[in-house]
Amino acid sequence: MSLELINVHKSYPMISGRKVVLSGANGHISRGEKIGILGRNGSGKSTLVRMFAGVEAPTKGRIKCSMSISWPIGVSAGVKPTLTGEENARFIARLYGRNEKRTVEFVESFAELEEYLRMPIMTYSSGMRSRLSLSISLAVDFDCYLVDEALAVGDTRFGRAFAERIERSGLILVSHSPALVRRLCTRAAVLDQGNLTFYDDLDEALATYNAL
Amino acid sequence: MSLREEFAIIRRGARMQQRVIGALMIRELGGRFGRYYLGYFWLFIEPLLLGAAIGLFHYWRDRPTAFGPFEFFAIGYILFFVFRGILNRASMAIPGNQALLYHRHVTLPDIFFARHIIESVACAGVLIVMLLALYVADGSVPESPIKVAAAMALMALLSQGLAFLWASMSHAVDVAARFLQAITFLVLPIGGMFFLVEWLPIWVQEIVLWIPTVHIFELLRDGQFGSRFRAVYDLPYVAGWIIVTHLLGLSALRITRQRIGLE
Repeated sequence: MSLELINVHKSYPMISGRKVVLSGANGHISRGEKIGILGRNGSGKSTLVRMFAGVEAPTKGRIKCSMSISWPIGVSAGVKPTLTGEENARFIARLYGRNEKRTVEFVESFAELEEYLRMPIMTYSSGMRSRLSLSISLAVDFDCYLVDEALAVGDTRFGRAFAERIERSGLILVSHSPALVRRLCTRAAVLDQGNLTFYDDLDEALATYNAL
Repeated sequence: MSLREEFAIIRRGARMQQRVIGALMIRELGGRFGRYYLGYFWLFIEPLLLGAAIGLFHYWRDRPTAFGPFEFFAIGYILFFVFRGILNRASMAIPGNQALLYHRHVTLPDIFFARHIIESVACAGVLIVMLLALYVADGSVPESPIKVAAAMALMALLSQGLAFLWASMSHAVDVAARFLQAITFLVLPIGGMFFLVEWLPIWVQEIVLWIPTVHIFELLRDGQFGSRFRAVYDLPYVAGWIIVTHLLGLSALRITRQRIGLE
């Protein structure tokens, strides 16, 4: 089970010309791998995330995916602010055909939301929101988690619990923070000016990124 | 691939779509009406009150005819409400729900199906309540309940096809949403709710029979009062409209899907 990029091109129209995000990327991510993808602001990380998530098609080339990949965690992904945390958890459970009760129980024990779980999402702090969406996605149980940017996965109690749980599955972490990638990933790739380069050595990837 | 395997894939897909639409329906209900006050009840109350108000207005004002004015206008209004309810919300369906597309098995048509099912079921419920109330009040029953139900279903399908197109157009051109809003108002006087085709001069009949909703209203009235007037409708013509709007609408949604920039 893996995610494979075969000569993937991606560009989109701008006011003048086209913005190139990828020009012929190749790569292979196996199940269980923890890989960081580093890119500066505006390098096209979010577009790449959407392609990995399977919600945006490449302009040319193919993305072959034979494992289950989560939705990009860190985007709001249809969370309704007027619904409570619990209701949103139930919605996702229904959508992915999971047991609703078990999903809610997991979120309850993992997200550290206490009584806020029964409050509308609009009353949440941003940290609470990201803990909720991370917990819901963990409850669905994917082969690989697609995590976008700075989340509440720092060195907190929740962050450590997340790192421990993610040990059992794969991770694609798209970030501009080398420190976060070093802490959670074993491999990395750098996205720069349309080139996505995979490095087996984490230090080499970080050094390349820092030199950009 | 053998035929059986293909069937298995289609069945799995259908089950998944069923699950997605079910989840979207529950979400839509919770989000639209909240969990407090009258809650889901609003769904039924709105068409019920409006339909009853219009029916009563005509009941007191109109000279008596072969048709009960209340039956004529209240039931007719509910059919119009299906059209209005589905189309007025169409332009907001994509902007309000596009973040859901991050979940890869949610598709744009699913989002519409979920809303349309809610809208149609609510209006069908109100229709049944009205018909029961009429039966209790003066013992009147529709001559052909099947024709009444068919009119309801055809109206929902026609509105659905138009909603696909409408939403795609609103996504492509912002002002289209406002322009198209005006069309539902236009349909109110000329769409068949206020008249029977046989009341009109021949030359006007020829014009209004181009409008598909006129045929659907005639079918409704045929189901309600069949033997009391000469109904004029052409069901293949309505079916043609439904098929063409669905084909064009679903294609337009496909193009729209590629153009949606998820943030």
